[in-house]
Amino acid sequence: MSDLRTVLENAVPRRRKWPWLAAGAVVVVVAAAVVALSRGESSGASAAEGTPVRGGTLQFALIDYQRSPDPQWGTNYAESLIGNNVTDKLTWQDPETGNITPWLAEKWEYNNELTSFTFHLRRDVTFSDGTPFDAQVVKANLDQYVHGDPALGILPNGATLLPGYLGTDVVDDHTAVVRFSQPSASFLQGSSFTANAQPGFLSLSTLKLSARQRTDAKKVIGTGPFVYDSWEPQVKTVLARRAGYHWAPPALHHDGEAYLDKVTFNTIPEASVRTGSLTSGAVDATLDVSTTDEKPLTGQGFRIIHRGVSGTAIHFALNASLFPTNDLAVRKAIQLGWNRETIEKAVLTPSYSIAKSILEPSVPGYADYSGSSLKYDPRQAGRLLDQAGWVPGPDGIRVKDGKKLTVKLLGINNLVANKPAYESVQQDLRKIGIDLQLTVVPIPDYTAQQAKAKDGWNITAANRSRNDPAVLNLQFSPAGGNTSYLSPSAPGIDLDEVTRTLGKLETTLDPAERAQYAKAAQDLILDKYALANPVYNPSQVIAQAPYVHGIVFDAQSRNHFVNAWKSDGK
Amino acid sequence: MLRYVLLKTGRAVFVVWAAFTLTFALLFVLPADPVDLLFDPAELNTVPPEVRAQVAGSYGFDEPVLLQYLDRLGHALRGDFGSSVQSGRSVSASITDVLPYTLLLAAGALLLAVVLAFAVAVLATSARQRWLRNLLESLPTAAVSIPVFLSGILLLQIFSFRLGWFPPFGDAGWQSLVLPVLTLAVPVAGPIAQLLVRSFATEFRAGYVTTSWAKGATRGRVLAGDVFRNASLPALTIAGVTFGNLIAGSVITETVFARKGLGRMTQNAINTLDLPLVQGIVVFVAATFAVLNLVVDLVYPLLDPRLRAALATDPAGAEPVAGAAERSTA
Repeated sequence: MSDLRTVLENAVPRRRKWPWLAAGAVVVVVAAAVVALSRGESSGASAAEGTPVRGGTLQFALIDYQRSPDPQWGTNYAESLIGNNVTDKLTWQDPETGNITPWLAEKWEYNNELTSFTFHLRRDVTFSDGTPFDAQVVKANLDQYVHGDPALGILPNGATLLPGYLGTDVVDDHTAVVRFSQPSASFLQGSSFTANAQPGFLSLSTLKLSARQRTDAKKVIGTGPFVYDSWEPQVKTVLARRAGYHWAPPALHHDGEAYLDKVTFNTIPEASVRTGSLTSGAVDATLDVSTTDEKPLTGQGFRIIHRGVSGTAIHFALNASLFPTNDLAVRKAIQLGWNRETIEKAVLTPSYSIAKSILEPSVPGYADYSGSSLKYDPRQAGRLLDQAGWVPGPDGIRVKDGKKLTVKLLGINNLVANKPAYESVQQDLRKIGIDLQLTVVPIPDYTAQQAKAKDGWNITAANRSRNDPAVLNLQFSPAGGNTSYLSPSAPGIDLDEVTRTLGKLETTLDPAERAQYAKAAQDLILDKYALANPVYNPSQVIAQAPYVHGIVFDAQSRNHFVNAWKSDGK
Repeated sequence: MLRYVLLKTGRAVFVVWAAFTLTFALLFVLPADPVDLLFDPAELNTVPPEVRAQVAGSYGFDEPVLLQYLDRLGHALRGDFGSSVQSGRSVSASITDVLPYTLLLAAGALLLAVVLAFAVAVLATSARQRWLRNLLESLPTAAVSIPVFLSGILLLQIFSFRLGWFPPFGDAGWQSLVLPVLTLAVPVAGPIAQLLVRSFATEFRAGYVTTSWAKGATRGRVLAGDVFRNASLPALTIAGVTFGNLIAGSVITETVFARKGLGRMTQNAINTLDLPLVQGIVVFVAATFAVLNLVVDLVYPLLDPRLRAALATDPAGAEPVAGAAERSTA
């Protein structure tokens, strides 16, 4: 026994030392790598833009993997990115202006009620199996997309994107009419949608396959600039250039086929391995860059490109039917009671921004509320709470009728900035007597809890990716399943007014009118009823080697690789 | 004898059935409606009820519980655990697809761990200098205390990012197996080496060793001829027990090195509450353990005459010698 004791005694200090030794070694190695790379890369960066070079394979890293090669199914970033390069959409939304521009549809018109949309299709588009893209394919795709196919195990993936879809009429080979049971102005943006469960077109042969059969990537046929080369769940998806492709969105000014021969989407779950793979040259570019890695990577000569995720900001949806957030004063105090500068400085990088509206700045109709309901004004917040009868209790938390001002928040931990941002809000609100309790959990736990949010949570915190102001109608209208739980039991809220004001966003496509309606909707949600407390605008951030060019962020902040090229052509 | 076989087989079948039933019960005990999990959480509120119903229908979640249970059990008996809710792929295909990668990783790591452990024990015992012996003897404890996560990242930093000897991620040939196997082997080698060092030291002072000394054997000869064989048996036992740790360690190793594997798939399936997949994995693992145990139980009487004799007199009560059975299967 004394032997064993000796061994253990000897080992104890060693055990404590090891992590330090290891951490020390990491620091030394990283420092050495930084020095080595920053010396080597400065000359390479000058060979920047210029004439695109054809050929080469782009090694791309991201955190997720594609769970199924069916683009109409996937809801994570890997799935939407890859889907965008294998399939095309009817229209292309300009990421700068938000305008809907031609793609597979050359032009379109709609009736005054916005219940019927006629698309005139390009005549020269084919699927990679050689079959033509025509009105029949559009109908078959949209029907299955919205309704699913129980016999094939295909889910109604598009039901949330195209609510009220009645059907598609085939007028002739190249004219399709999409009909809705209600005014659906946002459908036009929906026809360009590139995010979750996207409406990318699949060949008739693919539509006949069951969900299981569609996990054979080679059988998933689109019209896109790339075709599936291989698909390995958990590891990678490889796309190869589609020969003869020449129908990139005209707005991209790209003629002909993609420049790259191949794009490999490598799944790397661990952040430091993504960064290390980039700095060591194992990958050419990586998505999902941690906020803490942005600066060091820039210092080493890598370029950071980013775009805010269009749609709503990451916001607190305030439950207007549940105590204490059923009190307008409490909701307003939550909007006014926290310092946005603290979060900008401590949590966010220049790739992100603090929210100044419920809409993200790139959404048409965005208005800035940073000077009014969304400014930092703890005094005003305190006054509002005083007036509403909330008096500070012994522990600093306010009390009314013997009940504490405790606000329960349910959030998702999928973005690194979420939790620190919410914690900053929590600290500030505490100073004005609001006890914000945080529960920030992984997506499935969030989803499970959210189903019970009406009676259990004062705040659900998330964002929704949809570059159209009508996203406010989808998210907050009492006519739908709204996240603020507007119901007859929500005091002081005129439900008809909210339904009408938000509903108008679906009734017109006139930009001036839409901007006006979008403003009215934001006024209502932020000023009048204080249904949401926007926090920050999430972003998609890519770090890329200096020889990588032309990765496009679309209006939905997803990436397209038709324009991408490597100056070394390797 | 026949009764003994039936008894053991029955126990194995029960274990697998219980695993199936427990995971099925999870479906109804968990807070989440499996249908909700199929939608983007931000859009959950906007999913029309009829769509929800259709989705529930296509997975059979709308049937009465008992009917669902019998239906799933019937399919499971034919090896069909349905489709993964997250990918639509068949559960059995998903498992058999990743299994070889994990087996290769685990087997490689176990082999390396045993070699490392013996090397440390032999060196520690044969070292004459006290400081060197102390250093070597403390290595196993150190090995156990480094988190797999940290050692994995460290190895990547040096041998992959810095020196470029091995690919940092994926499954490209034997090169991409080296670092993960090493990462996984180090903590597994720890306990084996610890035990070996101890039993080497004990055996080294045993009477028969003194005899060898007396006969004029050298230190090396004593070590190789006497101690090595006698001290190795307990270590092989613990090597078997370690197999469970190996599977658990593969979860982290597979994640750090972005490898395909059962560990990562299990973690993902649990994270996303992909219940058909979780059920398939649990039943698969349970079946593997049950079959291994069964084989041992059935082979044991063939090897141990005492047990054969006991079976002949009292067929129901006979149990293999407890320690021996555990040694060979765990």
